[in-house]
Amino acid sequence: MSETICVLPCNGLDKCAGDLSRRAALQLTQSEDVELICPVLLNQNKSRYEKALEAGDLTVIDGCNTRCASKLAGDLGLAIKDKVNVSEVAKALDIKLGVEIREDQETQAVVQAVLEKINSSVIDRAESEFVEPESIDYNTFSHGKFIFKVPTANYFFNENDCWVTVSGKLARIGVSDYVQQNLSDILYVDPPEIGDEFEQFDDLGSIESSKAVFEIISPVSGTVVAVNTGLNDAPELVNESPYEKGWLVEVRLSDFEEDQDLLHDCPAYFEFLQRKVAEVDV
Amino acid sequence: MIVNKIGVIGCSGEECLGGTISRLVVRKMLEELRPGMTTSLCLPLFIAGDGGEREFAEKYPTISIDGCSKCCAKRAIEKYSNAVAGSIDISEIIGEDKALEKPLSTRNLTAEHLEFVKQTAEKTCEIYDGISS
Repeated sequence: MSETICVLPCNGLDKCAGDLSRRAALQLTQSEDVELICPVLLNQNKSRYEKALEAGDLTVIDGCNTRCASKLAGDLGLAIKDKVNVSEVAKALDIKLGVEIREDQETQAVVQAVLEKINSSVIDRAESEFVEPESIDYNTFSHGKFIFKVPTANYFFNENDCWVTVSGKLARIGVSDYVQQNLSDILYVDPPEIGDEFEQFDDLGSIESSKAVFEIISPVSGTVVAVNTGLNDAPELVNESPYEKGWLVEVRLSDFEEDQDLLHDCPAYFEFLQRKVAEVDV
Repeated sequence: MIVNKIGVIGCSGEECLGGTISRLVVRKMLEELRPGMTTSLCLPLFIAGDGGEREFAEKYPTISIDGCSKCCAKRAIEKYSNAVAGSIDISEIIGEDKALEKPLSTRNLTAEHLEFVKQTAEKTCEIYDGISS
């Protein structure tokens, strides 16, 4: 999900609702993460906003049911992530807006409700999409001809060498670099079904290589919301990128705080793995 | 062209203070300075093509009030409808630097901003009266 929002109000002048779309948009732009899009300039010179629209999700605020802003976005082929209709918000509050432009408690209540609706949608989106980190730093150690890497932060591990990394209420699960090196060339990933509910340390499918089959032991409890379909055609991604492109399962977490008690953070797992590699013949 | 009504169209721009002033000038013309004969046309609605705004501009003279030299309102009217009978570029009245300041909520307007609205409205009235006489 984008970290910025582009907000496109209808900016109508002939009804109170249009004016409220503008007021709501101006309030949103108090935040540095919000870029205000002028509908008229957008229509005249779309390129003015191209970079902003590429970087941010588009939220449209229509004043009335003519939906000028939505139509404009549609005509220009822009993807709308969220829409709010001021007249519908006012109706839900049992407030009649009319034509006259006014600044009173009722119109302020409508503006406030529009802002709350937009903020709530942003939070919902943040919670429904896993946000990948921009970059991951690694610590490494070598044992014989092998070099093992472990992320420096934001990953948690069980002692079965499966990891979890969290984004809001979602998390991704995968296997460590140690596992993929032990398995060697991975040929097949057998993931769980979307919608499966599971407890911490339950079986979450398996990975098969030419050498062995590895059972994925879940580091957390939750519900499967996605599997990495990219592994169907390219299971070798687990070998090439075990902590990033080779993730296995995306889950909605049940109680990460409790699950975390039985997991190692990155520095602890790094030490655990060093001991384990020293004891086991890799 | 019929001259018993005159359309006043502000750019309503969100790129700059000039856009904010254009909105206020349109309201002032409609409600205080030339009520009755003045019709305000909503530019976003004009662009969307609904509501009879374009048809109005075909039949009646229009004055565009643009916040800056991009002249979005004038250009849109002439693109989708007819040549404007008169036009104003607010940056020529209040100066480009002022016009390009950030747009404001009406509750944050200062006496200086209201003076800009007055000056622009007076200029609009001159053009308006020239068309209607």
